[in-house]
Amino acid sequence: MPRKTITIALAGNPNSGKTTLFNNITGAHQKVGNWPGVTVEKKEGVVIRHGHDLKIIDLPGTYSLTPFSIEEIVARNFILEEHPDVVIDIIDASNLERSLYLATQLREIDCRVLFALNMADMAQSRGIRIDADKLSELLDVPVVFTIGNRNEGVDDLLKTAVDLAEKSFQISQGRRVKYSPDIETAILRLQEVLVRDYSTSIPCNPRWASIKLLENDQIVRNAIVSGTPTEAAVSLLDMEIQKQRHYIQARFDDDPEIIMTDERYGFIAGIVKEVVTTSTRHRVDISRNIDLVLTNRFLGFPIFIFFIWAMFQLTFSIGAYPMEWIESGVSWISTALDGLMAESLIKNLLLNGIVAGVGSVIVFLPNILILFFCISLFEDTGYMARAAFLMDKIMHLIGLHGKSFIPMLMGFGCNVPAIMSARTLESEKDRILTILITPFMSCSARLPIYIVLAGAFFGERAGTVIFAIYLIGILLSIGTGRVLRSTILKGLDAPFVMELPPYRIPMIKSVMIHMWDRSRQFLKKMGNIILVGSVVVWALSTFPSDIKYSRDYDLDIAGINARYEALFPSANPAMITALESNRDEEIDRLKMARHAERTEKSYMGRLGKLVEPVFLPIGIDWKGSVALISGFVAKEIVVSTMGILYVVKGDTDTEAMSAALRDSGMTALSALSLMFFVLIYLPCMATVVAIRRETGSIGWMMFSLIYSSTLAWAISFCIYQGGRFLGY
Amino acid sequence: MKQLHCQEKEQFQKLFRQENIDRLEDRFRVLDVFLSTEHHVTASDLFEIMANQGSDLTLDFVQDTLRLLCHFGFAQKNRFENGHVRYEHRHIGHHHDHLICTKCLSIVEFGDRELENRQVQIASDHGFHLLQHKTELYGICAKCQKDRGDLTPLTLAKSGERLVIREVSGGAGARMRLMTMGLRVGDVVEIITNINKGQIAVAVDCRRYVIGRGLAQKIFVSPAEKTSEHHECNES
Repeated sequence: MPRKTITIALAGNPNSGKTTLFNNITGAHQKVGNWPGVTVEKKEGVVIRHGHDLKIIDLPGTYSLTPFSIEEIVARNFILEEHPDVVIDIIDASNLERSLYLATQLREIDCRVLFALNMADMAQSRGIRIDADKLSELLDVPVVFTIGNRNEGVDDLLKTAVDLAEKSFQISQGRRVKYSPDIETAILRLQEVLVRDYSTSIPCNPRWASIKLLENDQIVRNAIVSGTPTEAAVSLLDMEIQKQRHYIQARFDDDPEIIMTDERYGFIAGIVKEVVTTSTRHRVDISRNIDLVLTNRFLGFPIFIFFIWAMFQLTFSIGAYPMEWIESGVSWISTALDGLMAESLIKNLLLNGIVAGVGSVIVFLPNILILFFCISLFEDTGYMARAAFLMDKIMHLIGLHGKSFIPMLMGFGCNVPAIMSARTLESEKDRILTILITPFMSCSARLPIYIVLAGAFFGERAGTVIFAIYLIGILLSIGTGRVLRSTILKGLDAPFVMELPPYRIPMIKSVMIHMWDRSRQFLKKMGNIILVGSVVVWALSTFPSDIKYSRDYDLDIAGINARYEALFPSANPAMITALESNRDEEIDRLKMARHAERTEKSYMGRLGKLVEPVFLPIGIDWKGSVALISGFVAKEIVVSTMGILYVVKGDTDTEAMSAALRDSGMTALSALSLMFFVLIYLPCMATVVAIRRETGSIGWMMFSLIYSSTLAWAISFCIYQGGRFLGY
Repeated sequence: MKQLHCQEKEQFQKLFRQENIDRLEDRFRVLDVFLSTEHHVTASDLFEIMANQGSDLTLDFVQDTLRLLCHFGFAQKNRFENGHVRYEHRHIGHHHDHLICTKCLSIVEFGDRELENRQVQIASDHGFHLLQHKTELYGICAKCQKDRGDLTPLTLAKSGERLVIREVSGGAGARMRLMTMGLRVGDVVEIITNINKGQIAVAVDCRRYVIGRGLAQKIFVSPAEKTSEHHECNES
């Protein structure tokens, strides 16, 4: 048997256990990307089973193939245009009726479909027994039982899929939804017209296309129209569609799409009656009971605040330990390099450029991992949807639904996936507004900057200061949202309905995959953007190498040495030690002065001086300015630039950094101003690209850039000048 | 009986002329056949009868004419259990005015001498010589009001209540969205949380939903019967 690649698409309702099944099949062999043209996350993985390469594609979770949202369009287009060899529809056995709605639609599309009856154990414990053979017979589709979270039935499922792909395929005409005679007449009439005049541009089969046209599906209509050359033919088609829609409307007194949905459910009810036996056992809906507490109008909100507080607490307190280990590892490497290599430009690059730059950022890996761990816990347990519900009232201050809160919460982790998650919002204006306010959610890359600055200048109160910064970020996003909502993004509330997933115990595997994904992305960022950024910053601060110093430091150092050398013979041992430390201190001071002069006269210094006038009114010196500019590439680089610019000796740990910052003449007030500037100003490059992609407009991207930098400057100006006025 | 039908034809002619409706003769033939039936007929029934009599009118034309007849109050449309729409004629005797229920579209006839006189008076005050008039009062009929009395929007429900979805108004998009997500007319919902002015969390079977206030206003419910099967479920 020749080995070939079989494409298998996983379809199913949200929360049907699709992702769990996908994770179980592919394990860590996943590739996460985007669907072409849209930013719905596309997950695929290749595994070798049953003698073939199986390319598994996780389609976005959908309730139907009626295009209400981008996800549904993506799922449908994939099946229609990419022709996967097999489509596995994952059916939540405990929600059979609704799951079958999607199933019957897949059946209408005429693809090779097979059903995975998932979570049948749970259904059984609810007293629901499903006759799989009967179901298979009634719909003429293979059915396999699976239990996703216990990895049961998965092998069987893949085997069935492979068999189905290998079988010479015969589209079964029977066992499809049959509509009532009048609707069938309308379908037939439209179908005739389609086959006669528009046969070249029919997506899928003519029957399906006719059904969709009757349902007023604009995407299918446009697909057919795009292949139709003349205006006249287009308007003829539209007239025919209208005629048949009227035909149904007149007979049933309602919109055709509603009637047809009703009839599909009628068909499904018939199947359910045949295959399901229910024993009336009385059980308690645990999710409902948890919701009675967690979404309670009085208890819900305090509990939510507690969870958020716990998340940050966990991030900082537990993160501190591995952070120390990484820090000592970095300084060990740094010392080892220092000892091993002879003085050279390469050593300088390695030590002051790469190790100092990358090292100062990599220590934050634990914090970021813990933050993402918490966020994925929120997602996997199902609490995220409740958080959205609880935040709804507050989000309504901005004129958004609670659902917009999910991107904002994710923004604390990283703005890029946060902005991408805004795609689940159906209204375009809601989506744009959410995207524009999400960058004010302080992402994890900005956190190191606060930790360093607040740690250096606010000591004990660092935690409070950081919390206040996060809070102000939230307030700014609310303020911005309100202003935009009442000016350029006016809009009415779109009808809103969202399913609350059942509470589930998170699967270690899925959380691990999520964390591994994040850390891989973080490390990749280390490997390219931050590495390159650090090297560039180092190069800019090291060259030109032939600087004209204002004085000859080497000569001065030699002078000091000679001076002390002369004193040594006449001194007793105790005095010698004192003299030696005095001498070292003087030499250090000179070296520092030399370093300062070098960086000041380097390209970096010149660039800094150039932009300094802009940043001086907000209390940021040229070094800070340069650090901020470098932060556009990635916010992590701000810290690494500071590491390179401020720190004199090779030490890169946070403590040395704090000391160096304090010595540099920065005050608590200017540090605060700098932190606020970091919070608000330009989002990083990746975020900017995400904004461009998600809003689909350069205009909104530019708006975001200009608005955030102006606001950042204005607020920092108020803080700095106001603080000075008050005498700080 | 015959007499009545003649009167109707006259009125029909007058009204259709007024409205500039085309193919009057053909429509007249439809009316003729329609009036000769004495039971509820569907459009296709009528079409068949006419075809048997040798008429060459299309089903759509018959359909359209029936629609017009309903519009002018000559016929009434009923949708029965099997989903077919049937028509019956309503006899309109001497001149009278109509009360039309905007909800169930039923028409109540009334005559009021004072109103008639007053109308003639108003016309002559404006220098009109009254030829013809038609008075239609729109509203909600007694029966609908009674039915409606039990229906409340979901927004008014209190936490813990068990209710049946009776009706969903609003556009086809929103209604379909609810249907595909598994919230349909006839489902029993239990209110989990209803925060003032916020969204509403409800449970149906073993599913839970959050519904925005705007949409919830369009979902009409009535109290679920206590005896209805109590769905409970278990989650691991």
